[in-house]
Amino acid sequence: MKKIILLCLFNGLLLAETKSWDSHSAYLLPQKRWELGLFQPFRFGYSETIEYSTFPLWFFVMPNIAIKRIESDMAGFNTASRFKLVYPTPLLNMLAKTGIGGMIDPNFQMPPMLGLSASWLMSKPMIGLDLTVNGGLDLGIVLGDLDHRSNIDLPLVYHRLGMFYNKWGMHTGLDVQKNLTEKIQVLVDLDIRLLPGLADVQINPDLAKLMGDYSLEHKLLLIWNQSDRFRIMTGYKFVKGEYPYGSDIRFLPYIPMMEKWIPIIELQWAGKRIK
Amino acid sequence: MERIISITGIFLILACDPFVTEFPDSSNPVMFKAANASDTTYVYDGFEIKVVTWNIRFGIGRFPFFGDSCGDSVIADDESVEANMVAIAEAINAMDADIILLQEVDLESKRTGYLNQVQYLLDNTYLNYGSYASMWEADYIPSDGVGRINTGNAILSKYELTDAERIQLRLRTDQSDLIQYFYLRRNIIKAKIPVLSQSGKDFFAVNIHATAFATDDTKEQHINKYIEVLGNIDAGGGIFVTGGDLNSVPPGSVIDFCESDMCVNDNFHTDNADPYHKEGSYFENFSGEPDILVPLYDTYDPAIDTASYNLPDHFTHAPSTSMINDTTVTMYDRKLDYLFTNGTWDSGSGSTDQSVWELSDHMPVSAIFMPASD
Repeated sequence: MKKIILLCLFNGLLLAETKSWDSHSAYLLPQKRWELGLFQPFRFGYSETIEYSTFPLWFFVMPNIAIKRIESDMAGFNTASRFKLVYPTPLLNMLAKTGIGGMIDPNFQMPPMLGLSASWLMSKPMIGLDLTVNGGLDLGIVLGDLDHRSNIDLPLVYHRLGMFYNKWGMHTGLDVQKNLTEKIQVLVDLDIRLLPGLADVQINPDLAKLMGDYSLEHKLLLIWNQSDRFRIMTGYKFVKGEYPYGSDIRFLPYIPMMEKWIPIIELQWAGKRIK
Repeated sequence: MERIISITGIFLILACDPFVTEFPDSSNPVMFKAANASDTTYVYDGFEIKVVTWNIRFGIGRFPFFGDSCGDSVIADDESVEANMVAIAEAINAMDADIILLQEVDLESKRTGYLNQVQYLLDNTYLNYGSYASMWEADYIPSDGVGRINTGNAILSKYELTDAERIQLRLRTDQSDLIQYFYLRRNIIKAKIPVLSQSGKDFFAVNIHATAFATDDTKEQHINKYIEVLGNIDAGGGIFVTGGDLNSVPPGSVIDFCESDMCVNDNFHTDNADPYHKEGSYFENFSGEPDILVPLYDTYDPAIDTASYNLPDHFTHAPSTSMINDTTVTMYDRKLDYLFTNGTWDSGSGSTDQSVWELSDHMPVSAIFMPASD
């Protein structure tokens, strides 16, 4: 049995595919290639089986790192696992301030918190589409007292930080990518985040009956690949979720003072490290 | 296909709701009904109508909130909010008012545990119908950890409310565009109560919360607009009961509370003080402000008459953190809350209930309206 498993793993490694510009998929970056976006993480193909990524601008206030590793193929799917580690405490304590920019009540001291996420990704070309499904678990390790009133009840943020208030969560998603022309692609994704039992952790359920145990995020991007070194993306993000005040939906990005949705504009660069 | 387009359209509209809600000059308030309204429908017996105005300070009692006192607290704890709301509901039930004009009522705001306070009060008092006009509604206030906010004025009534209208008051002009965008949009809320019509005349309840902290002429504009709204009802042959937190002292009152409201390390009334007076504690920011309420007293019947309005028994407010000395709280030291009618109050029925001072930084004012005889 052990031999079969090892053979499967070895077979997986031999068949492991690499692809540029496919951070959402089970494919890894080619070895030594790096990619960086305005809002996307810095990714680096460390080896044929391992890829690292991090948000460099956030790193000093929110240390974070993710590792994607090739796994053996399953049912004809290219498969990878991804592990993320994030330490948001310094950033959250910076946001707990008086005056403009204070996103959290300054009376709250955010305790040391470590977020761990493990995901399983499976990708396969099917009927002219590149399909990726993913799923995984999130663990929020909190070393101290975390007051539930320190939440940030904004789309995208609330459910990502929810793992710390709920101790754990789940996520799953589907990504579909299609080449429209040689240089133009379209990417559509759908992600669901679940915080099971979040309502039960409330001190007083009568006051905040809806603590918001799910969010659904959908994104559509049109991508123009100028070369394998630069590309531009535009599109939208749609978020529907349950929050402490009830359900809410929003198109993003949204500019408050203009009260307007504007399209996502993302620029990405890539290169190869040469020894 | 049409269904898909319709659903997509609804999603697009809802998903692009403004981040901060701004209001036209006139708009529809949000209407509410008690969960048990059908079981407790009141039939008006033609007798007296008790009216109350009360700024309930979003149910946080004397919590040292950073925005209106010397405190530095922002988000109230669930236990305190619940205990205060239970006590406010009990106090309202004890008042047995037919109509209650509330100011500073929170709806699903982060600072008060996301409770819908209008619905809570309707479901936990004998009042059946509500109408709510927000004065501060934003998905997120990115300052001091306030977060999601929706607070405003409400009219609650035993009897059904119709023809409700939210009337926008002028915004402050002494703020930057950024601050003004995220700041309060004060209003007057007006509703008709058909069952209380008097000798064929429509009966209205009108509620206002005028500016507290403006240092320009915003308060004058607010009171002038209030007088205009009341004048229009009167000229149209309607009867009204009205009141609210006018954030104005009666004629002849002390006008400078800067010293008593001063916080530790504050500096007012000195050569290098900027501003010279504390916002919200000084009542002569423009010429004529001390007498700003004279037209209301001259034209309409006040619940608390001119002989009494400066008596301590009718003081309705002090900041929640004001102290007489190290151990004694200033419960109330000025009058800011009023009731008027273009009909007649029952003589001597006007009162200020100072016994509930722990439930808010404002005291409720009540009076009994005498129905017109045919």
